[in-house]
Amino acid sequence: MTEMTRRERILAASRGERADKLPFFHWWRHSQVGWAERECRNRGMGMAWARPSYTVELRDVDVVEQPVMVEGVKVLRRTYNTPVGAIYLDEKREPGTGEWHGMRSWRDVSPWQTARLVKQPEDYEVLKFIVEHTEYTADYFPLEQAKDWLGEDGCVVDHHPHSPMQTLMIDWIGSEGGRFFIHHAKYPDLVEDLYRAISKSREPMYEIAARSPADVIWCGDNIDGVLVNPRLFERYFMPEYEKMAKPIHGQGKLFASHMDGRVNVLKDLIAQTPLDIIEGLHPPPMGDLPIGEALSLWKDKVIWVGFPGSIYILGPEATKKHTLELLREVVPGDRLTIAMSTENLVSNENLRVVTSVLENADLPLTGEKIDRIEKSLG
Amino acid sequence: MTLEKYLASLKEGIINLDFGVVVKAATEAMAAGVDPNAAINEGMVAGMAVVGDKFEKGEYFLSELVVAAEVMKEGMAVVKPYLKGSSAPGLGKVVMATVEGDHHDLGKNIVTTLLRVQGFEVVDLGIDVPTDKIIGAVKEHQPAIVGMSALLTLTMVKMGEVIEALKSASLREKVKVIIGGTPVTTEFADSIGADHRAANALEGVKKCVAWVASPERRQ
Repeated sequence: MTEMTRRERILAASRGERADKLPFFHWWRHSQVGWAERECRNRGMGMAWARPSYTVELRDVDVVEQPVMVEGVKVLRRTYNTPVGAIYLDEKREPGTGEWHGMRSWRDVSPWQTARLVKQPEDYEVLKFIVEHTEYTADYFPLEQAKDWLGEDGCVVDHHPHSPMQTLMIDWIGSEGGRFFIHHAKYPDLVEDLYRAISKSREPMYEIAARSPADVIWCGDNIDGVLVNPRLFERYFMPEYEKMAKPIHGQGKLFASHMDGRVNVLKDLIAQTPLDIIEGLHPPPMGDLPIGEALSLWKDKVIWVGFPGSIYILGPEATKKHTLELLREVVPGDRLTIAMSTENLVSNENLRVVTSVLENADLPLTGEKIDRIEKSLG
Repeated sequence: MTLEKYLASLKEGIINLDFGVVVKAATEAMAAGVDPNAAINEGMVAGMAVVGDKFEKGEYFLSELVVAAEVMKEGMAVVKPYLKGSSAPGLGKVVMATVEGDHHDLGKNIVTTLLRVQGFEVVDLGIDVPTDKIIGAVKEHQPAIVGMSALLTLTMVKMGEVIEALKSASLREKVKVIIGGTPVTTEFADSIGADHRAANALEGVKKCVAWVASPERRQ
């Protein structure tokens, strides 16, 4: 087989075809630009870059940002003023926020919301007004630019926000103190009404995504079965994935969702979704579904593994051992790519040790090949 | 309504996650002169025990645990003013915190509620708690147990920092340390010298109960 480019490798595996080597890549937003990252890229590590295909405009909503002090802590307050009332959120920003990749701080932490948009039942009406006055417009420049810059070095994916119920659970109502669950139990009509409004308002966004220049449309859904239990997943997430998948598959594109939590409890339901790629799946000990089991259960799906940070924290030797074990588990290594991290930064030492294992992972993997890789590492 | 019916309403209200039923039953029971300790222990706590069983059997999920705890909180708010003096002797104090840099508190809050249900006095320091604040709370409250949570690999290392600070302050031998959170493994807990890594909220609470019930109990 002629040697594939990093982009070809990732996309071949993502389409369920056999790549020449097991694809591995670093997400741009977590990559430590420098000598180790360059070395690893020269040794076969690809790059994945997530960018949006649309811009968002709010009609009849006045957004004001100002720093305020809350209980002695400086936060950035964003207030949304609408004809039906005002709501606000507070964000705590660590040093370096906005000066690193995207909005992340020097430590690779995204801003914390210390106060969510929904605090009381009255806030739902205001938020629904905002949702119904949100307009999505196609803007493919960020994707075209990233594709031009990356070339054959990696893959550009069209980044979409949390799906509607996850937007409520994680972003707008929030799970702190179990607030989402409590609101869902106490005010089911308000929560469901807002969910339906978001789902409706996102329809143009899905059409824009389907026509974007990206090969993969990626919903950054952060699924964790502990929070999104099977009842919630079946009722609110699966129908939305169906809705998103129609235009995406209609244009021949791949549809991915970020599922980086403990998804064992959801595995049978995930198998029924129209998703092509389960992205960010973390093997144990961080996740609770072994990759080998997931591959055999989800025959029509591809897994983009997220390398577990709880292994990285144990150092390069543990990282090497885990990577080799992972290879043994996934023989022959089809329908799989490995992301260096989906959570935060990776040390140079860990990045290099994972690369040392994966750079020689020719497909199809066999036990003998993996033994040879292990021996070569000393 | 008879005593049994009040207690059954409280219990069933918790099991069915029904805010309205529990608040109504608690209000009516107090007005009818029902012993508040019975309303708590034979009504609501008994309901929580069933919720816990359902959780362990996989019939209920975390969301139900959270809501049940919240329903109980609302019921307790009605009953508490009727409690005279102290109720049954507690199991001891626990200091709980989400470590510095981390704002995730869902697991910690569930553990806190369940510990209170079991009879612990919990000093909940909240989220993003600096190490020195945890040490200060241990000095002030002299708990039997310190519980820490983190959701990020970036922040979980702070748990090790707290344990080192406990040692420096000669407090480590006086407390049990339990840690939890998605990225926290038993291996990590061992590496930083924690006494236990909670696999989930219920398991963690059971461990705390076992500690204070065991001859090894410190305090």
